[in-house]
Amino acid sequence: MEKKIRVLVAKPGLDGHDRGALVIAQALRDEGMEVVYTGLRQTPAQIVNAAIQEDVDCIGLSCLSGAHNELFPEVVRLLRERQADDILVIGGGVIPQEDIPFLESAGIAKVFTPGSPTKDIAAFIRQRVQPKSVNVTKPPKKIAHIGIAVHSIEAALPFYCRVLGLKLLGCEEVAGEQVKIAFLEIGESRLELLEPLGPDSPVARFLTKRGEGIHHIALEVDDLEQRLSSLKENGVSLLNDTPREGAHQAQIAFLHPKQAGGVLFELCQHPGKVRRAGADE
Amino acid sequence: MSNKDFTQLYQEWQQQVKDRLVKAPERKQRFATSSDIEVDRVYLPEQIDGAYMGKLGFPGEYPYTRGVQPTMYRGRLWTMRQYAGFGTAEETNKRFRYLLKQGQTGLSVAFDLPTQIGYDSDDPMAAGEVGKVGVAIDSLEDMETLFDGIPLDQVSTSMTINAPASVLLAMYIAVAEKQGVPSSKLSGTIQNDILKEYIARGTYIFPPKPSMRLITDIFAYCSEHVPKWNTISISGYHIREAGATAVQEVAFTLADGIAYVEAALQAGLDIDRFAPQLSFFFNGHNHFFEEIAKFRAARRIWARLMRERFGAKNPKSWQFRVHTQTGGSTLTAQQPDNNIVRVTIQALAAVLGGTQSLHTNSRDEALALPTEESARIALRTQQIIAYESGVTDTVDPLAGSWYVEYLTDQIELRALEYMEKIEKMGGAVAAVEAGYMQREIHKQAYETQRKIEAGEQLVVGMNCFQLEDEPQPELLRVDPSIGRKQKEKLDALRARRDNAITEQTLARLRQGAEGTENLMPLILDCVRHYATIGEICGVLREVFGEYRAV
Repeated sequence: MEKKIRVLVAKPGLDGHDRGALVIAQALRDEGMEVVYTGLRQTPAQIVNAAIQEDVDCIGLSCLSGAHNELFPEVVRLLRERQADDILVIGGGVIPQEDIPFLESAGIAKVFTPGSPTKDIAAFIRQRVQPKSVNVTKPPKKIAHIGIAVHSIEAALPFYCRVLGLKLLGCEEVAGEQVKIAFLEIGESRLELLEPLGPDSPVARFLTKRGEGIHHIALEVDDLEQRLSSLKENGVSLLNDTPREGAHQAQIAFLHPKQAGGVLFELCQHPGKVRRAGADE
Repeated sequence: MSNKDFTQLYQEWQQQVKDRLVKAPERKQRFATSSDIEVDRVYLPEQIDGAYMGKLGFPGEYPYTRGVQPTMYRGRLWTMRQYAGFGTAEETNKRFRYLLKQGQTGLSVAFDLPTQIGYDSDDPMAAGEVGKVGVAIDSLEDMETLFDGIPLDQVSTSMTINAPASVLLAMYIAVAEKQGVPSSKLSGTIQNDILKEYIARGTYIFPPKPSMRLITDIFAYCSEHVPKWNTISISGYHIREAGATAVQEVAFTLADGIAYVEAALQAGLDIDRFAPQLSFFFNGHNHFFEEIAKFRAARRIWARLMRERFGAKNPKSWQFRVHTQTGGSTLTAQQPDNNIVRVTIQALAAVLGGTQSLHTNSRDEALALPTEESARIALRTQQIIAYESGVTDTVDPLAGSWYVEYLTDQIELRALEYMEKIEKMGGAVAAVEAGYMQREIHKQAYETQRKIEAGEQLVVGMNCFQLEDEPQPELLRVDPSIGRKQKEKLDALRARRDNAITEQTLARLRQGAEGTENLMPLILDCVRHYATIGEICGVLREVFGEYRAV
C-alpha cells in the first residue's frame, strides 16, 4: 500500500484563532493525508520536535497575530539545525503580500493567504512531497504541434505559406472545441492555426483576453490515459481528467497552465499508437 | 385581559415615557422624513393583544424584544466604540486621542497576546508577539501612559481582556486614583468571559474552576466599588467567528451566561446586585434579516430566563444589553474595499437589531491591523448610519414584519433546543470541558468552507467576480523594535521600584489565592506597587495551574 502523506498542522506563538488550522487539518484528512494538530501556543522548538517525532512530510504553520515574520523562519532554522529540512514547510494566516517574498526566502515553500481553496493546498503538498513519482514517467516523444490562435485562417495563411514557405496539409473543423484548424508541416512537427467557430469557443475567449499569438504546445505521448491518472494522483491540476477527441481522431487532454508559468500544454496520442495494458482484447 | 386593558397599558407606558423625557429629552423635538411625514416613537399593531404583549411588549419593557430603552436611538445613539491598540502605550494613546477627536464616543482597548495571556513582554513565550495585535501592557506604568490626558470620569472604556481581567481592571482603577477619579465614577466594560476562550478564542490561562472564581470575585467587588462597570461581556462574537451559525451564537452565549449567573449565585451573591452589570457581545454577520432577528430573540430569551428561572426582580437584571462588532471572518483579503460595503450592511443590521454599542471593522481586517485611514472610514460608516439614514428615528422599525417576527421566533425556538441539550450535559462548563461546543462550531466551519469551495456560497471577489491583478493596499506595520523597548522599560521599572514591597504584595496574593477571600483588593495592591502582569499571573499560575485544551 502507498504510504500516506503525513502533515503537522501547527499554531506557533500565542494566537488563539484556530478556525483556519482546524478546517485545513480536516480538509487534508479528507484528501487522504494523515494529519496531526499541535493545538494552540506552540513554540517553534516544540513544533520541530513534534514534526520529527511524528515523522511528517510537511508542516503547515498558521498565524493570525502578525508574528509570522519572527516565528515561521525560526521553525525552518530549527529544522535545518536538526537536519530535518527535507520536511516541507508551508504557512497561512493574516499575512500581508509584501511579507511573502521574505518568508519564501527564509524557506517557507508557499504562503496561502485567506481565501485559498483547501484543494490547492492539498495539491501543492502532494506535488512537493512526492516529486519522484512524477519524474518516473518517461518524457513525451516529441512536440506534436504548436497551436497559434488567429482571428481568421484565411487572413493568416499567406504569411505562413508565402513568407515562411510552410506546406499547408489541410484544414479541419473540430466541432467539440468549436474551432477550425489549419495544419502546416514543419519537419516531424506541425504548426496549427486555430480559428474560433463561435463566441463560446475556448480560442475565442483566448483571443478576447490575450489577442492573437501562441495558444498551446502539444506533446505527443503513447500512454495518455495512464499518464493522466498518474498526473492526477500526484496533484497536478488538469483541465481534462480523461482524454477527449481532437483533430485527426487524436485523443487529447490539456494541463492547467497555472503550474506551467502560464503555458498551456496539450498531451496528445494519435490512433494506431494506443498501448493498452494487457492488450489482447 | 381585554383589548381595552391593553390599550390602557399602552397609555400608561406613554405617560411613563413622557415623564422620563422631562429628565432625558430625545435628540430632536420632532422626527420627520424628507417629505415631512412625522415619525412616531414606536409603531404598534392596530389591536394590542395578549399575543403581542407576551412576545414583543413595549420598548424598554419586558420581555424587551423591541429594545432595552423606551426611546432607543431617538433618545441617545449607540456608543460608537472602535477597538484599537497596537505597539506601545504611547502609540495607542495617540490613536485613542485621534479617535476621540474624530467623534468616537467610547474607547475600546486591544491588548497584545502576551498581555492577554499574562506574560511580560520579556518572557520567552512572548517572542514575536509583543505589540502585534494590541498594545503591550506590562505594569501600571504602561497603563498610565495609555490613558495619559484622557480623563477617566468622562470616557467609557471597554477592555478586551479575559483571563487576567482582574489585573487590567485593577490597573484601570489605579490610574483613575492617580487622576483623582473615584472608582464609583468609572464606566466601561471588561470582557472577562473565560468560557468562550475555551470554546473559541484561545486566550485562557487557568482551568475553569479558578477562572470562574476570579470572575465572581470581580462581580462581588464591582457591585460594591465600581457600580457603573459592566463586569463581563458574555461573548458570542468569537463563537460566531470560529464558524458558528446565528442560532449557535445565541444558544452558546446564553448558555455561558447562565453558567456565570449560577456561579455567582453559588458564591452567595444576590442576583439583583450583580445581574444589572452583565453585558453581552454579539457578531454582526451577513444575513441581514436573520441578524436583526437574532438580537430580538436573544433579548426575549434572556429576559424570561432572568425573571422566570432565576427570579430576578430588578428590571435591569432582565435586560440583555449588547455590544456588537461586525464579522471579521466575513471580510476578504481580495478587493478589500468591498469590505466597506459588507461592514455597512452588517452594522445596519446591528442597529436595526437594537445594539447598545458598535464596532465597525476596517476594510483591511483580513490583511493586517487597520491603518488610520481605514479606521476612520469604519467610524464614518457608523456615523452615516446614525446621522443620515433615518433608521434611528423610530424604535425597532422592523417589528411586525411577518418575516422578521417569524425569524425571531425560529431563532428563539432553535436556540432554546440547543440550550436544553447543554443543560442536560450539566451546563456550559461541563459542555466546554467535554468539547461539545467546540465540535459543533468546527463542524459548521468546515461545512461553510466546503460550500464556498463548491461555489454553493458566493463570496464576491473571492470565489466569483475575481480580479486578476489586485493592487496591494497600504498596510499598518507595527514597529519591530517594540519588543526591545518594552524589555528596556521593564528592566528600568524593576530597578526603580521598591522590590521588597512588591514582593510582599505578591506573597499576600499567593496566600489569598490559596484560600477563598476575594482577590480583587489583593491584585489592586500588587498593581499599585508596580508588580507586572507576568508576576501577578505567575503567582496565580503556580496556585491554580494552567488549562490544557481538550
